Amino acid sequence: MWQYIFRRFGYMLFTLFVISIISFVVIQLPPGDYVDTLVNQMASESSGVSAEVEEQMRALYGLDQPVYVQYFKWVRNIVTRGEFGYSFVYRTDAREIIMDRLPMSFALALGAFLIVQLTSIPIGIYSAIKQYSIADYGFTFLGFVGRAIPNFLLALVLLYLSFRYFGRAMVGLFSEEFVDAPWSIARVMDLMRHLWIPAIIIGLDRGAGQIRTMRANLLDELNKPYVDTARAKGLSERRLLWKYPVRHAANPIISTIGWALPEFISGEAIVSIVLNLPTGGPIFLAALFAQDMFVAAGFILMFSVLTVIGTFISDVLLVWLDPRVRLQ
Amino acid sequence: MTDPLVEIKDLRIHFFTDEGVVRAVEGIDLNIKPGKTLCVVGESGSGKSVMALSLLQIIHKPGQIVDGQILYHRGRVAGGQFSQNGAVDIASLNRKGRDIRSIRGAEIAMIFQEPMTSLSPMYTVGNQVMETIRLHEKGISKKEARERAIDILRRVRIPKPERLIDEYPFRLSGGMRQRVMIAMALSCTPSLLIADEPTTALDVTTQAQILDLMLELQQEFNMAIMFITHDLGVVAEIADDVAVMYLGNVVEYSDVDTIFNAPEHPYTQALLRSIPKISATRQPLDMIEGMVPSPFRRPGGCPFHPRCTQALASCSTVVPSLTTLHENHIVRCLLHEETGEEVPRG
Ligand SMILES: Nc1ncnc2c1ncn2[C@@H]1O[C@H](COP(=O)(O)OP(=O)(O)O)[C@@H](O)[C@H]1O
Ligand SMILES: [Mg+2]
Repeated sequence: MWQYIFRRFGYMLFTLFVISIISFVVIQLPPGDYVDTLVNQMASESSGVSAEVEEQMRALYGLDQPVYVQYFKWVRNIVTRGEFGYSFVYRTDAREIIMDRLPMSFALALGAFLIVQLTSIPIGIYSAIKQYSIADYGFTFLGFVGRAIPNFLLALVLLYLSFRYFGRAMVGLFSEEFVDAPWSIARVMDLMRHLWIPAIIIGLDRGAGQIRTMRANLLDELNKPYVDTARAKGLSERRLLWKYPVRHAANPIISTIGWALPEFISGEAIVSIVLNLPTGGPIFLAALFAQDMFVAAGFILMFSVLTVIGTFISDVLLVWLDPRVRLQ
Repeated sequence: MTDPLVEIKDLRIHFFTDEGVVRAVEGIDLNIKPGKTLCVVGESGSGKSVMALSLLQIIHKPGQIVDGQILYHRGRVAGGQFSQNGAVDIASLNRKGRDIRSIRGAEIAMIFQEPMTSLSPMYTVGNQVMETIRLHEKGISKKEARERAIDILRRVRIPKPERLIDEYPFRLSGGMRQRVMIAMALSCTPSLLIADEPTTALDVTTQAQILDLMLELQQEFNMAIMFITHDLGVVAEIADDVAVMYLGNVVEYSDVDTIFNAPEHPYTQALLRSIPKISATRQPLDMIEGMVPSPFRRPGGCPFHPRCTQALASCSTVVPSLTTLHENHIVRCLLHEETGEEVPRG
């Protein structure tokens, strides 16, 4: 088992390496670089910029060097000094921009993730045990609706409804008095009050899917021979249910739980852009448009790191929870 | 005649499906004698498994006991639900209640056809064997339960039981798994062991070993066995008594010699004709003329009449009742009704 985990850990590092290359290269792909953007801007404003000045600026930012040199320097600075480079747009350390917003992204994605897991699995279990009850039909209907609505649309609808009926759009993650306040218990509570709406928007699709999967898995398991065996032993229905069929049915879901993280991270970005939440998403998008490459690459890298860690957690859960995988 | 351990009286079990009512068991009367082996034979779909599951009240969902009694005779127990002579009517117990749960696994145990899927791959052999012991023997410590489990695994001839107890079922062969199932069933020394085709999924050599083991343990534990099979070779080997089932009825019941040498029901006769006379290979019983009818269209009168070579005109309308030909030989057929005496229904 340890061998397996070490191997997975190795894969994780390798994946990160590949992702870092890809993210850096992708950022370089659009024609031109930040200096071009700057030059165009200056040209349209007033004075043109001489080719000489342009070259100087490139040298200043290191943009005149080949891509692999730039990449190597970038990675070295991240690994050895935790530095993400320079933000051309904000004229400051890219790390500041990224670290200012990333925790919010993570909080939102994780919040959505937890809400989804803590509701969808129990609901799926309940639906299966009470198959064809009114509640089961209700959840099934909700499940279809949840799957069918794209999350940006749901965000827009909720935005409209909240504006229409509460008089203000529920944008943002904090009430006004807390926007710039330092961290405190009250601020965290305020965040919690705001977090659940975007969290639901992000998680609805996944949650709806998981309800259906859990329900179907459990219905399958309930008729397996080992359930008859357990019942024939004299176990009570409740004990039997949790020990055998629920465990079997939940196993594939729980052990792949981390694979859902990418979905939540990208969902977070989309919803934050639509609702204009102070997370990484909107800044990341703006950085892409402005060719603020170190900020953009930093975000991609950090999003990827979170995703890859999630996958690694899943890999570990998989062997830990299922003896068939552990002992193969 | 010994007093029965279990008396099944006019048992009816129906499945209320969306497509209609399946009358899986349609009036079974049957006795199980203590310490003896009763074999139940019949083609697939005749209701053997459903009847077996009903003895523990674990029939699957749209299925329901709609009529009849399953009288289980045991010593008095506190808090039990009693009918005549201190017997418990299993058919009337709440299927989720405490009473039936105290019988399951402790007094009546069951092993199933598929040793591959009847054990959970998520827990060790020890976990699953000890579960039964700890459930029924209150106050037994974990350590004692483990020793008991190792002991019972040794008695079903599992090599190195101290090691195997921590193994997962999916790492064992089919034969070993079925031994684990037997160990689990016997762990609380039940008075009746129900075995639903326990060797069908095994190869011939393993099958013979498992059968020998079961007979041996039957002596040791002095328990009754209800052995369900469609293999007449197995029946000849292990049965004391035989019940032949067809479409939810027991059509003939007697001791094993009478069934093989002097069968009276046309269906039993057809079954016996369907096995090759001189052959070591065991054949499944699918060679009788005609097909088993769809469970939704159970023929009226005697359910066997469309396939019966000796059917009378009245067979399609009159439901035959049980006729006792002589002691311990009962048949349900119109051909015999006038010669024998009616058995009063319980
Ligand atoms: N869950 C179920 N739903 C509907 N019908 C069932 C179910 N289980 C068994 N039956 C029906 O009950 C009848 C008897 O089945 P079974 O006892 O399994 O036969 P056997 O064990 O003799 O092969 C069959 O006609 C089968 O279709
Ligand atoms: Mg069967």
